[in-house]
Amino acid sequence: MAFNQSKNSFKRTYHRRKICKFCADSSLVIDYKEVKTLLYFTTERGKITPCRISGTCAKHQRRLAQAIKRARKMALLPYTNV
Amino acid sequence: MRYYETLYLLKPNLTDEDYQDTVNKFNNLIDQYKGVRIKVDEWGKKTLAYEVKKFSKGFYILVHYCGEPEINDKLNRAFKLDDKVLKYQTIKLSDNANLEELKPKEDEGAEIIDSENKEQVILNQEADNGV
Repeated sequence: MAFNQSKNSFKRTYHRRKICKFCADSSLVIDYKEVKTLLYFTTERGKITPCRISGTCAKHQRRLAQAIKRARKMALLPYTNV
Repeated sequence: MRYYETLYLLKPNLTDEDYQDTVNKFNNLIDQYKGVRIKVDEWGKKTLAYEVKKFSKGFYILVHYCGEPEINDKLNRAFKLDDKVLKYQTIKLSDNANLEELKPKEDEGAEIIDSENKEQVILNQEADNGV
């Protein structure tokens, strides 16, 4: 038991709460035309980074996904990057 | 009145004349369908993220305008029929556009055009005097 407890506490120290970039900085706007900000939230392959990795809140993640999809449609962002 | 934003992509192999003609054509279409143009932003030739009909570059043009909902169907049809247009996308920015709020930008634009015209007039006068 003692071993387990120590292991758990070790894990807990590793856990770091992520902050949503858009909530923290109100000057950042989610817009499908601003490719630079969108690029930050895509992987090298062109996929949308999940919120559990990027730390964006649900509200902004939804808007981000919408914006990235719109940018892809207009050939501003790639669908896939091989 | 609704406030819309349209981004469209033209083929890269157009001549300057063709390019201007098509941009003017769509601008005139908006006027014709009783829309109010707020601003037209030409991004110029840009590299695309992926090839579209074997083209790796294209001209982007962004138009902000107000109008009734029917304007979209008519514009989309025009985009579809024109083979110089590779892609187009319209997004509604607001349901109830306040033209008075948006108008000051228009006035500024008009003033700039006026001042340019004045300069041209002055230049022409100078040329006349010179002759």
